[in-house]
Amino acid sequence: MSTESPAGTEPVLRLREVDIDRDEIPVVRGVSLDVAPGAVTVLLGANGAGKTTLMDGIAGLVRTTAGTIELAGRPVQKLPVYKRARAGVGYVEQARTTFRTLTVEQNLLVARAGAGDPDQVYRLFPELARRRTLQAGHLSGGEQQMLVLGRALVTDPKVVLVDEMSLGLAPLIVRRLMRVVGELAAAGLAVLLIEQFANLALDVGTHAYVLRKGRIVHDGPCADLRGRHELLHEYYFGSTTPDRAGPEPADHACDPHPLDTPIGGGTR
Amino acid sequence: MLNSVIAGLSSGGGYALLGLCVVLTYRLVAVVNFAMAAVGAMGAFTMVSLTDDGLNVWPALFLGVAVSAALSGVLGAVLIRWFGEHNERTKAAVTVAVYVAVMAVGLRLFGATSTGARRFPAPFDGAVFRIGDVVVSWAVVVSLAFAVVITVGVEVMLRRTLVGLRLQALSERPGTAQVVGISAPRLATAVWVAIGALTALVIILVAPRLGGDFSTLGKLIVTALAVAMVGGFRNLPLTLGGGLLLGCLEGVSASLSEVREYRGVIPFLVILVLLWWRSRHEVWDTAHSR
Repeated sequence: MSTESPAGTEPVLRLREVDIDRDEIPVVRGVSLDVAPGAVTVLLGANGAGKTTLMDGIAGLVRTTAGTIELAGRPVQKLPVYKRARAGVGYVEQARTTFRTLTVEQNLLVARAGAGDPDQVYRLFPELARRRTLQAGHLSGGEQQMLVLGRALVTDPKVVLVDEMSLGLAPLIVRRLMRVVGELAAAGLAVLLIEQFANLALDVGTHAYVLRKGRIVHDGPCADLRGRHELLHEYYFGSTTPDRAGPEPADHACDPHPLDTPIGGGTR
Repeated sequence: MLNSVIAGLSSGGGYALLGLCVVLTYRLVAVVNFAMAAVGAMGAFTMVSLTDDGLNVWPALFLGVAVSAALSGVLGAVLIRWFGEHNERTKAAVTVAVYVAVMAVGLRLFGATSTGARRFPAPFDGAVFRIGDVVVSWAVVVSLAFAVVITVGVEVMLRRTLVGLRLQALSERPGTAQVVGISAPRLATAVWVAIGALTALVIILVAPRLGGDFSTLGKLIVTALAVAMVGGFRNLPLTLGGGLLLGCLEGVSASLSEVREYRGVIPFLVILVLLWWRSRHEVWDTAHSR
């Protein structure tokens, strides 16, 4: 398991032979991966490959049935969700999970472990500072996503798991969020990123894993995959032909995005 | 008539507080707790048993409230530990089972309706004052004040304190609340303990007026559920109003000899009317589609 990142740095997050079931159905099998500090590690895969389940498993929202998850050298796979968060696992879940009845300020306050700094969030996203007394449910989709990312940052994480930030957002907002993710990694944070727009993720990432039917089928530098759609299709669907009639979800196939055409993606 | 309405407000304050406990349990930990009043009655009877044995009323009150808080905390811990991933219906079913068990134990320990009535301390019942022709008991004033203070206090706590904000976050998105580091099990258990303590206090407050037997007090859950339904299991001021309204209705019905014996039916009628009112669109649509 090699991670292309600042030379010689130990991975912050290390998974070894992790299995995860959902409703007793095996979803993730034998996954080993490393997430290094100061870099964005990209996790790609078709819809249903098990990406979100893997993220949920790392955060503790679903149980791992085998394997180990180490955070900064300490096993965390048996810790409950909130203890993993306090140990340094930040999670930006899908679907903009703000606390809608709380204000922007209160969303950051409830998550603040003590060391995190809400002003850092306001510096990254000045529009949130202007709306700090507004209920999160009244924010635009992009602002809500900024808030969810900011809320993960005030928990003072060692690693941030980012799951499909681009869902339902305008291309301009997605680019901005990706830029912020890149800046956070450049400042030393470890980031594990799931993104339906593969090229966008590969542009910001340094190392990539591809998950297919719950198993890692590719482990290498992002540069190896950039612009290589046929290779990605082979990894995603087991075929070298980028055939749209395959297992890719119809909504993605019919709705090309200005940023890039999503390959697979979606949930679970 | 007005005197009856005013007298009903005394029970109404208690009903409002019980409804408030149901609403808070549902809002904060997503459980409809059928065992709530029985658990409160257990604490109330612990208190009155201790005072009957000669213990001073204040330590007895403390111990009684502690018993209910502990019982409620244990029930909450069991639901969190073993039923955390089950749906609301399963959790409600567990509380029904606990209700049956607590009622059986309570009736065994403290006696049934005819044999187990106890004399609860009623420090405010004797004193009255007049506003014009209307006689107002201090029990009414204390009951109303307690209900208003608790309702306002809970609203302020939920909106203005960090614990309150975390409780709101937990009730809105339990999974996400934990993802940001909120200790859901500890916070939820604290809610159960606080609700248990508050329920015991309310039961002790209303017991002198409603009859001091375990069965009557344990079955106050029906009234509490009716009041909670007025508030839609969500709105605290509406719940307060619902409790007071139900108390007034009982007061009026107690003054009319034709319906006096049937006043226990009022909570059921309120539940039926609210269920019908809230599902009126579905009923209307179904009738028209035939």
